[in-house]
Amino acid sequence: MGGPTISVRGVKLRADPAREECFKVVHLYSELWRTVDMSAESQREKLHREYNTEVQGMEIAAQSLAEFPDAPWDLRMEIARQCWDESRHARLYVQRLQEKGGYKGEFPIANHEWTTTCVFETLVARLAIQNRTFESGSMDSMRKAVKVWNDAGDARTAEMTDSILADEVQHVRYANQWINRLGREDPKVVLQVATSMAQLRQMSAALRPQPGDVSVNGVDLVATPHASVRANVEDREHAGFSDSEITAVVKRQEAEEANRFAVTRLERVR
Amino acid sequence: MGLTVKQRGQNVATFRFVEVRVMEILSAWVPTTPEMEAKLLFGAHIWDTAQAADALGKRTYELRLPLQHSLTPAVGYLQVLDDLAAADGAARRIAAFYDVVLPGLAARYRRYLAQTDALMDAPTVRIIERILETGVRMVREANELRAEMPALKLGETDWLTRLAERERNVAELVVEPEAAAA
Repeated sequence: MGGPTISVRGVKLRADPAREECFKVVHLYSELWRTVDMSAESQREKLHREYNTEVQGMEIAAQSLAEFPDAPWDLRMEIARQCWDESRHARLYVQRLQEKGGYKGEFPIANHEWTTTCVFETLVARLAIQNRTFESGSMDSMRKAVKVWNDAGDARTAEMTDSILADEVQHVRYANQWINRLGREDPKVVLQVATSMAQLRQMSAALRPQPGDVSVNGVDLVATPHASVRANVEDREHAGFSDSEITAVVKRQEAEEANRFAVTRLERVR
Repeated sequence: MGLTVKQRGQNVATFRFVEVRVMEILSAWVPTTPEMEAKLLFGAHIWDTAQAADALGKRTYELRLPLQHSLTPAVGYLQVLDDLAAADGAARRIAAFYDVVLPGLAARYRRYLAQTDALMDAPTVRIIERILETGVRMVREANELRAEMPALKLGETDWLTRLAERERNVAELVVEPEAAAA
C-alpha cells in the first residue's frame, strides 16, 4: 500500500501517474491555463483538461483494483466498470480535441485528482474523495457545460458531455451505496470518511491559488472569479444523495456566490 | 467420458483465479504506462476480464463451490503471471498479454470445451464461448492500436519467445486440491 509521494506547498501528495514526454505536468494552478471564454483555443483547453481528468479517473479506479484485492467482489466489479467508462470518456474527449485541431500536450496538465486521492490509504477514503466529492462536483459543472457548449453552437460536444455525465452518475451512486453499506457494517468507516474529508479540505486550502497568482495565459487567479456553478439537483438525486445532503450543497453554493458578488462589488468600489 | 462435476468446478475456479489476476495486472499497468493510448486499451479491458471472472465465479456456486470461488493454478502458470506482471514498457506489456497470455488462455479454454459434455455442462460452455469471443475482440483492438502506433510494436522478441515457451510448458492449469495441500 502507498506509493511514492511528493510535497507541494508542504502538502504530501501521491506522485504523479506516468505521462508521455509530450505533456508538461505541473502541480500549481498558476502553472495551468485558466479558461475564461469560449474562444477556439479555450475550447481546446477545456477538452484537453477533461481528457486528462478522465484518464485520472480511470487511473484512480485501476489503482484501487490493484491495491485493494480484498475489497468485496461486487464493489470491485463497479470499480472495474468505471475503468471502462473513463477509458471511453477519455477517447471521446481526445477525439473531439483532435477534430478541433488540438493535440496531446497542447496545454500543461495537473493530476490533482490522482495526487490527492491516491495519497489516502483506505478504499473508502478514495471513494469518498474521488467518486463522492470530485465526481459529484463534476456532475454540477458538466450540467453547466452542456449548456455552455450548446450556447457556443457545438451541439455535438454538448451531447457528448451529457452522455458522459449520465455515466458519472453511476460512479457517484455506487460510491454512496457502498460507503453507506460499509459504514453500517463497521462504524470505523464513518470515522475514516469524516477524517479523510477534513484532511481533503486542508489540502485544498493549501493548494488553492494565492493572491498574486497568475495563470500561464495571464489571468489573475484570485481576482477573476470562477463562473458560478449550480448544484445539479436532479443528478445528485439519481446518485443517491439524501435531501439534506443536497440542501447543504445548494446552501453552500449560494453562500459562495453571494461572497463572490460582494467581493466583486468591493473591487469595483476600490 | 467428459468431466465430473468436481473437475468442472476445479477448472472453472482456476480460470476465475487467472481472470482476476489478469484484471489486477492490467489495473497496475494503467497508471504506470506513459502512453495514453495503451493506458486506455488496458483500462477498457479491465472490465472485460472482470466480467469473465464474475461469470465464472457465479458458475462455481452452481458446481458445489462457494460463490466467486478461486483456485490457485499450477506453480508454473503462476510464474508466467508474475512474469507478465513484471513486464515493463508499453510494447512489452502489450505483446506479453495480447500475443502470449491471451492466446494461451484461449487454447486452454478450448481444451476445456473439448473435454466437457456440452449438454451437461452447457452453462459453463456458454460462459467460455463468450469469454473466447471477447478475447478475440481484445486481441483485435490491440492489433489495431499497434497498426496505428508502430512504436507500440515490440522490437526484440527473445523475451517474448521465452515467455511463450514457459506458458506452453504448463501442461495442466488445474492443481488437484489434495496435491496443492501436500
